[in-house]
Amino acid sequence: MRTLNALNRHRTALLLLLSGAALLRITLASDLFQRYVKQSLRPELVAAGVLLVLLGILSAVRDQPGEAHDEEARGHAGPGRLAWLLAPPALLLLSFAPPSLGAFTVARDGSGQIARPVTFDPLPPTGTLRLRLSDFDARAVWDTHQSLKGRTVEVEGFVAPGRNGTWQISRIIVSCCAADARVVAVTVLGPTAPPANTWVTVTGTWNPADATPTIEAATLARIPSPADPYRDTAP
Amino acid sequence: MIDATSGAPPVEAEAVPPRAWAVWTWRLAALLIKLALGSVVALIIFGGLLVAAPELFDYLIAPAFQAWQTVLVAVVIQGLPFLLLGTVVSAAISAFVSDAALSRVLPKRVALAVPVAGMAGAVLPGCECASVPVAGSLMRRGVPPAAALAFLLSAPAINPVVLVATSIAFPGRPEMVGARFLASLATSVSMGWLWLRLGKPEWLRLNRSADAHRHGGHTRLDVFRRGLQHDFLHAGGFLVLGATAAATFNIVVPPTWLQTFTGSTWLAVPLLGTLAVILSICSEADAFVAASLAAFPATAKLAFMVVGPMVDLKLISLQTGTFGRAFAVRFCAATFLVAVLVASAVGAWLL
Repeated sequence: MRTLNALNRHRTALLLLLSGAALLRITLASDLFQRYVKQSLRPELVAAGVLLVLLGILSAVRDQPGEAHDEEARGHAGPGRLAWLLAPPALLLLSFAPPSLGAFTVARDGSGQIARPVTFDPLPPTGTLRLRLSDFDARAVWDTHQSLKGRTVEVEGFVAPGRNGTWQISRIIVSCCAADARVVAVTVLGPTAPPANTWVTVTGTWNPADATPTIEAATLARIPSPADPYRDTAP
Repeated sequence: MIDATSGAPPVEAEAVPPRAWAVWTWRLAALLIKLALGSVVALIIFGGLLVAAPELFDYLIAPAFQAWQTVLVAVVIQGLPFLLLGTVVSAAISAFVSDAALSRVLPKRVALAVPVAGMAGAVLPGCECASVPVAGSLMRRGVPPAAALAFLLSAPAINPVVLVATSIAFPGRPEMVGARFLASLATSVSMGWLWLRLGKPEWLRLNRSADAHRHGGHTRLDVFRRGLQHDFLHAGGFLVLGATAAATFNIVVPPTWLQTFTGSTWLAVPLLGTLAVILSICSEADAFVAASLAAFPATAKLAFMVVGPMVDLKLISLQTGTFGRAFAVRFCAATFLVAVLVASAVGAWLL
């Protein structure tokens, strides 16, 4: 109880420092923030982290410990004990930061919906097509000219379980943060599935017989997982 | 007022009025009760899952729990810089801007001030996390609540960043951008006027401790810093609470149940409105999610984009912290209804 009381007296400084340190750890000390938010948010996160650490130090130096606590005891509204809720996410980020979204999110996604593009750019006439998964999906489902037919295609993504014992190569696309994750996936026919969440490159041909986007794999190669897991890129 | 310090002698302890201690104990008890209630709800959800699919439990629990953590942390990280920006602006308004300066900017008649404040939301880009503390400090500084509320709703919905994101998400469909702008502006202004007609000041419980007058004897910069610290920590707790709720729904509600409602516009519009509340996606990104819900009618996607920046779990939580529960419950419910109605009308007309 005495410890809790002491913690509470330093709540303002403690929580500001903790939150600031967590933001700096995932942006400056590592690239971990890319598991949670879009890459371009880094400057804002760093600025917020620096400001929070500065505020925490200022508060520790200039404010009487327990000031907010005493104000509450006198019936004034302090930041409230709810502010302690900031601690668990900060501690989580400072210790073992949770992994990026993967096969679990893909398996739960039932939408299978593919947005219809306005136009399709012409493909190079010969050679292997290196496509983003979302491009492969869009061409497989919406392209009336069947531009993928008979072409050798190379796509990249991570392994996720599919329906009826099949497996898929998949990407999760994030526009802002992991809460707005969208799934794109291509069913792979041929080789047996590597473990879930392994990143692979698949070369093969489009299988037009299937209603869902499907690739007949000729080769399969493991690759290291990319730094930014949420951006759909061509191999 | 003397600042009590940690080593206060027992004589001074007697001077503390018993009412304050009663309030203190009551708050602690209330917090404990809420914690207990929250745990019971969590246990029921967990228990239900276990009963429904015992064989899946082992398989589900680890990755589901990890995905839940990832989404929770993501919503908090995404929100923190904008919440901090909002509290910096809000603390600056509290510490440096005079009441007279603000009232000069807005028209004297409140009914006119509402649309002006609504349009101001289009010029001042803000994420929804930032606009809640700013609207709170505007009210504390004497801006009519109706006008501050119109700004609160419109700022995250119709700023240039959001409109550009919408046009990228719906290529070749500029009418989506126009419909979003019109429906969002109409909803915010309607809510301002509605507050003018039906709103009761006693519903609003503004947190006044960040006010400059309370801390006599401190420099302005200290007042600014303390207001900032206070508002940020206060709102931050509510942000985490809202993020927890959003992450829980994100993981618990299976996306497949959406498929059932794609056929009927009458069902799809309120359904996607509700989905926007549950998912709590930031307004910069919601257009991409709306576009990916390809099977739904355009009006339902519009409702998703109009409701999202104005009412979602994260916002309900933040508004509860800033304006009090009595306000947040009524205002969010009314905003949801108005937003869905306006989106349906604008969708029928433009899409």
